[in-house]
Amino acid sequence: MSSSAEVAADFKDALQDLKVNSRPEISNLTIIAKENTEHAQAISRELENHIQTARPEWKLPALYVLDSIVKNVGTPYTVYLGRNLYRTFMDAYLLMDSGTRRAMEGLLRTWKQPVPESMDARPVFPPEVTGDLDNSLNRLRSVTAQTNSLPPRPPLPPQGLPARPIANANATPWRNTPTPPQNFNRYPATNDPRVRQPFPPGGQYGGYPNTGTPPVQFQPNQPYQPPPVTSIDLNTLKADLGKLIETTKNTWAANPADISLQQKLKALLDLETVLRTQTLPPQQLEAVRMQIQNLSPSPAPTPLFNPPMPVPPAIRSPQQQAAPTFPPANPPVNLAQILAGLPQPASTPTAPPPAPTPSLADLLRRVTTPTQSSSTPAAASFFPPPYSTAAAPVPAPGPIPAAPALPANLAALLASMNTSSTPPVGQTPHSIPASLPIAQPQTTTGTPALGMDWVLNALKGLPGGGTPLSSTPIASEPMTRQTSGQSHPAFSTDVELATASMKKPRLHLIASLYEAKPNMCQTCGRRFEATPEGKLKKARHMDWHFKVKDPDAQKRGIHRSWYITEKEWIEYREVDETNPDQGANGAGGPVKAPKKEAKDRYVLVPSDTALANAPCPICQDEFKTSFNKDANDFVWMDAIKANGRIYHATCWEEVNKGSGLGARESTPDSVLGKRKAEMGTPGSGKKVRAF
Amino acid sequence: MLSLPGLNLTAPPLDPVALASAPAITRTQDLSPNKEFRFEVPFGRTITIKLLSGTAEYFGTEFAPNQLYSFSGTKGAVYSWHGCRLEIGGSGGDVSEYVAEETGMMGYANAHFSLEALRERAAHGIEGPRVLIVGPENSGKTTFTRILTSYAVKSGRQPMVVNLDPRQGMLSVPGSMSAAAFSSIIDVEDGWGSSPISGPSPIPVKMPLVYHYGIGNPELENGKIFKPLVTRMALAVMSRLEEDRMSKQAGLLIDTPGAISAGKGGVYDNIEHIISEFSVNIVFVMGMERLYSDLTRKYSNLPSSDTVNIIRLDSSGGCVQRDEEYMKALRQAQIRAYFFGNNDEVALAPQSQMADFEDLHIFKIKEGQDANALFRAYDDFGSTPDIYERVTPTPELQNSLLAVTTAAANDRQEMIRDASIRGYIYVADVDETKKKVRLLSPQPGQTPPNALILGSFPEDVPGLVS
Repeated sequence: MSSSAEVAADFKDALQDLKVNSRPEISNLTIIAKENTEHAQAISRELENHIQTARPEWKLPALYVLDSIVKNVGTPYTVYLGRNLYRTFMDAYLLMDSGTRRAMEGLLRTWKQPVPESMDARPVFPPEVTGDLDNSLNRLRSVTAQTNSLPPRPPLPPQGLPARPIANANATPWRNTPTPPQNFNRYPATNDPRVRQPFPPGGQYGGYPNTGTPPVQFQPNQPYQPPPVTSIDLNTLKADLGKLIETTKNTWAANPADISLQQKLKALLDLETVLRTQTLPPQQLEAVRMQIQNLSPSPAPTPLFNPPMPVPPAIRSPQQQAAPTFPPANPPVNLAQILAGLPQPASTPTAPPPAPTPSLADLLRRVTTPTQSSSTPAAASFFPPPYSTAAAPVPAPGPIPAAPALPANLAALLASMNTSSTPPVGQTPHSIPASLPIAQPQTTTGTPALGMDWVLNALKGLPGGGTPLSSTPIASEPMTRQTSGQSHPAFSTDVELATASMKKPRLHLIASLYEAKPNMCQTCGRRFEATPEGKLKKARHMDWHFKVKDPDAQKRGIHRSWYITEKEWIEYREVDETNPDQGANGAGGPVKAPKKEAKDRYVLVPSDTALANAPCPICQDEFKTSFNKDANDFVWMDAIKANGRIYHATCWEEVNKGSGLGARESTPDSVLGKRKAEMGTPGSGKKVRAF
Repeated sequence: MLSLPGLNLTAPPLDPVALASAPAITRTQDLSPNKEFRFEVPFGRTITIKLLSGTAEYFGTEFAPNQLYSFSGTKGAVYSWHGCRLEIGGSGGDVSEYVAEETGMMGYANAHFSLEALRERAAHGIEGPRVLIVGPENSGKTTFTRILTSYAVKSGRQPMVVNLDPRQGMLSVPGSMSAAAFSSIIDVEDGWGSSPISGPSPIPVKMPLVYHYGIGNPELENGKIFKPLVTRMALAVMSRLEEDRMSKQAGLLIDTPGAISAGKGGVYDNIEHIISEFSVNIVFVMGMERLYSDLTRKYSNLPSSDTVNIIRLDSSGGCVQRDEEYMKALRQAQIRAYFFGNNDEVALAPQSQMADFEDLHIFKIKEGQDANALFRAYDDFGSTPDIYERVTPTPELQNSLLAVTTAAANDRQEMIRDASIRGYIYVADVDETKKKVRLLSPQPGQTPPNALILGSFPEDVPGLVS
């Protein structure tokens, strides 16, 4: 069976191994793409996702794959990849250092031209695709030039730094200095007396149309920004939302098991309805826009507007209190107060003059009423946006508040989207979704503990009571809190071995069976951890699936093996197809089966007639031809090829006693049913099927 | 001895209805979290289940998304922790199905997590939990064992599973008792899965150690075979655990026949024997209050070093009485699958062979003896206890299953009894005039000269070879 999902999964696995600019690997991937044009959509999606989510230093090789595919295969990939090329390219571009950017600009130049040595005079990508990119790059360049001419920003105290994906830190030196919480402190609510200057929301991308987060590094480029909320903006917003819905749909299609994605999708669709059917006040639009931006799979923007989380102590989990990310919170009454109450860093003077638009805090407050919910979007933005195609089902978020009371629960809607973008419940440092950059597990260790709890609690405090939490058993479980942050060894200790204890519901523990291993084999359902090791295991597992798919097996006539004897069984060790040394039961480790007897050796019947008619040089007896199912061919049993002649293996052994058999020829191991396929018969020069 | 390849043996189709009722019509079934979709499919009917979204598991083994699983002759249940949407095909008619609100899954999962805690502790060289599961027939013992096994495998463990219930084979045919370490996913469609075959198998293979018991109910034979076999298996399993670090840490899961939970006047001879031989330290009692309280009383005042934890779990509401007719059909299907493989997935090619009467060393289990005869045999120091009688093939032998032991024909009877087996051969035909027997052997090659055991269980399987 080779469904799109499977091809895509294979392609993805191969992509994830691509970490340097390696020509063979890239051409290999191109060939895969070429041979599977019927799955072009799925492959394109994987490629786009990969470029979006890979570590910045791995993005360029992936872009080369894209380049190679569109140039060597062309349609339909140009069509599929062209749709999102802007986003794919720009999001990557913004994360790159200048060297890589130049390489990417080089790529873009070639895309504006026809494929070299091609008869087709049309450019690789249509001009309207590349033109947009060009415009954005030009604008960005001017912006960057201005930013660089600014005096260096005063360094900020590091203690408020949220755990940030290292990938971002590495790749964006030019915005490496300020840290989000402090920045946010510069935008207090307007109604607070201590507030000096509210800060305008604006584009954070320079010319990138997805504006919406407060500008931090690009303050001087305000003039370049489109007015915050215009009809154009609304359209962009809708388009972005549409894109996001599309991506989410696709991801969800690839992971139908993922409940969180499903919920996210629903939330997005609801949001779309809201946008379509109602005229929202600019503030709400702004919030929506930020939310969308936040959810769009671009790692870079997220850390930029993380406000400190104002969490009422009542719903604080221990993990949250322990996390260094949060300033010690006074019991906050509303967001503005909290924000205002926070220490004002020295960076306030850099804030620009009063802007025409209301401050973020203000608008957040207008969107949602109670404090904790208004802070939800911001809080969740600590986490990378939905990277994971392999994200585990998050059992927490309940049915999303339905649309009727639209403006009122817009915040809830937004909040619910965030829940789905948070890491899986019960996340330990090793269970970050597979497609995350490897470096992240270390850097995000502080945050996962907060994720689920926080959002859940925030959801609980949502206004209107529109969230039917009661129908989500897991979320409403009193023990939900334990779900997150508890690592594997710790979880089970509370299950006492007693009859009464067995009846207590402990749904939070189920996560160790599901969410802890989010990376699922689509063929058999086996789960793997989202760690490099888990990925490796899955790769071996998939290899194994491939190997046991033997269309010829039926023809050869397979049969039940005899059970092994007591002694063999005691010495037998289970073979895990995900372990590299599958021969543990073979020569190296404890012996699984008695060594192959000489009489079990065989060679394929030679095609050379002289050789085929020659008897054994030692005993002068002829060889008996029989069909060997393992070789899937006619063979001479008890035979060995040495020095260009074929001997009876037993005769040969007799003659060469002491020295044993020369080269270890084919010793098919029929019992196990799994062996490395590369075990061949060097003597015969033909590969032997070794299972 | 004569081997006749190419007789073109095929398993006769189970039932033409099976082919007719192709699952053309499908419907979707939504399952909310913590609910169970239960179904009973008679033999000859097939239902298919596909997981469209969410998560679902079948006795602990997770469904892969969008894969078609088909079930025939099964009483099964699909459970979902998170809620799911299933696509069901082939339902209706005599297939019964319903969604159950109350399940015992939380208790089963808790049991798993409590064992996980012990395994975690066992990482430091101590042995993992050794678990015995007892309870009356149809109380969900095997299901529970399967769930525990699946969850352990999911948690990266390699539990050693011992099946002492001859009524249902594990990786073998009914009538056998077997042990195997599970390190890989359990087949969803096919019970415990099947033992290794010569070709590739779509599910990672499990390597069982198999003994032939040959009697349906251990309570009826005065312990002359069951107990010694348990002792022997315990020896082999303990030797394996001694060396196999993975399984040692994960511990033992022992499934038992319901019959031994009946006991005699509050004395559970066979259970106590298993507990002592396998050094069991945790006993799960399914349902049955009486057994729970009797065992608790018995094991409560042991010194702390030998503590046996007795835990009672509620029997799942999904446990159904499986009538003898169904069980018989199930056994026949298992035996058929041993020789021919599962109907569609892997078709096996057994070999038909002719053997002379004198080449077969058949030992028939003596049953129905009174206890005194047995004691006499033991009292008679130095002589072999009377376990088997040698029989020559008669037409009655036709359609019966012979266990091929690892013991030689002239070994003492205890050795034959204690020997593990290599497999089973099936007597297709007995020709008394020519003194020849037609056999069905799983593998080509000579009929082994080993001692063959003929038991009363499982019963004859007529028509395995037409």
